[in-house]
Amino acid sequence: MSTNKYRPHILVLPEDAADSELALGFFLYDPVALRELQVLREAGGWAEVRDKFGLEHVPEMRRYRQRYMVLLVDFDGQPERGDEMRKAIPRDLTDRVFVIGVWEEPEDLQRQQLGNNEAVCRQLARECRENRRELWNHELLAHNAAELDRMNGILRPILFPAN
Amino acid sequence: MIKRFYVHNFRCFQNFELPVAGLASSLLIGNNGSGKSTVGFALEILQKIARGTNHVNDLIEKVDFGLSFPRGPMRFEIEVEIDKTTYEYDVAFERPAGSDEIQVRDERFSCDGVLIYSRDVTQVEWTRTGTKEIVKFPFDLKLIALTWFQEHSEADPLRVFKQWLAHMLILSPVPSAITGDSEGANLTPNRQVTNLGEWFTELVTQSPAAYPRIASFIQQFMDDFLEIKNENIGRESRSLDVLFGRDNTRIKMPFELLSDGEKCFVICALVLASNFAYGPLLCFWDEPDNYVSPSDVGHLVMALRREFENHGGQLVVTSHNPETIRHFPRDKSLLFYRKSHVEPTQVRPIVDIEVHGSLVDALIRNDVEP
Repeated sequence: MSTNKYRPHILVLPEDAADSELALGFFLYDPVALRELQVLREAGGWAEVRDKFGLEHVPEMRRYRQRYMVLLVDFDGQPERGDEMRKAIPRDLTDRVFVIGVWEEPEDLQRQQLGNNEAVCRQLARECRENRRELWNHELLAHNAAELDRMNGILRPILFPAN
Repeated sequence: MIKRFYVHNFRCFQNFELPVAGLASSLLIGNNGSGKSTVGFALEILQKIARGTNHVNDLIEKVDFGLSFPRGPMRFEIEVEIDKTTYEYDVAFERPAGSDEIQVRDERFSCDGVLIYSRDVTQVEWTRTGTKEIVKFPFDLKLIALTWFQEHSEADPLRVFKQWLAHMLILSPVPSAITGDSEGANLTPNRQVTNLGEWFTELVTQSPAAYPRIASFIQQFMDDFLEIKNENIGRESRSLDVLFGRDNTRIKMPFELLSDGEKCFVICALVLASNFAYGPLLCFWDEPDNYVSPSDVGHLVMALRREFENHGGQLVVTSHNPETIRHFPRDKSLLFYRKSHVEPTQVRPIVDIEVHGSLVDALIRNDVEP
């Protein structure tokens, strides 16, 4: 059931274990195409995500043109975090790489009693499929709006092929 | 779903309770010898009872008693919720002083808090079905009483509970021993899944809708999979073949020639289809990632988790595999720990343990302790 590299597929590179659990919540949502999504090992920090992406994934993405990547990082309350990450994305790959994350850190989702990481992300997946933005508009997630707009057109058909 | 599972004085378990209440999927991690697989062996004793084994000598051996109390009592207590009804069953065994023989010490079964029967060595007290009349009678101390009572209807609590236990999937597959041949049909796969052919036959016979699910799942990881054939090779015998094809080429492969990992994916497909067809089930799978390539482990684990998280039932897996460990959240991961072979198993949820950084790295460093 390995991800088929020659068909559109999505790799998620999470910053840490909490981000990884968020990504797994997407997996748990039944309509998500199981084989088109792969959550990679956590990088260990947002800078490590950026560096690992540049070192390992840029060359592989050029090799496998059906590959899309989601860089899942904590914004740590820094408005410029998204732009800093995007600077590391070569111009020829910008259409295939997305940067999203929680405004501070995923643990805030539980602190605000939105549910555990998996449950929150399962709900986010449901909203993606139904093209709704309720939980996505929460103050901890609303900064992802522009990136979500891009993802909606490109990743949605890969994640939800039955739609 | 298990609400409580308590085991005392069985192998490395002393006063042991498995904290999986409310968890639709959970992962048991810990060093070799910490007791993870023993959970499966303990469940298997209850399953054997439900499948009709009623003599203590066919259930327990002397070596199963814990080192500290070699004469017992050895106790198993399970509380499960099935369709919003709670069933409780306790059974204890002992070896009385001066005797080498194992016997039943006590036993009780209740449904939603109402005692159906209790038993003290050779004396059984039973509340006659549909009445408040209590019947007392002597019973053989070497036999299990749970298997003796007649079931009066499909809804009889004894039947519901025993069927749930009997249908538990306790798996530790040995793919090389799985041929796909069968001499009958049943929904009772054994631990090594060497009777996969019987399981497949009964599953698709009882629930034809299960087959498309099996096929669809297998197709996800074998692009050229077309179908599974289960043809008669004798009056009572069948043999599984797998049909592959691409363009105009077709190949029929005997099931036993599939790779070990491919057989595990078929087992996974049967688990998912079984939970759909006659679940909700409890599935205990000892190292489902064995034989599976690193790029497939995450998908296999998430397919299992997705089924049990979203569609009822309960999944308990053990693993040493970093990929599997990564695919369970920490609040569903339990650490099994044992200081030495003469000390009992301890179990703690990972969230209650201080782990710095990556859990996998901490496990590799052997830094995770309760």
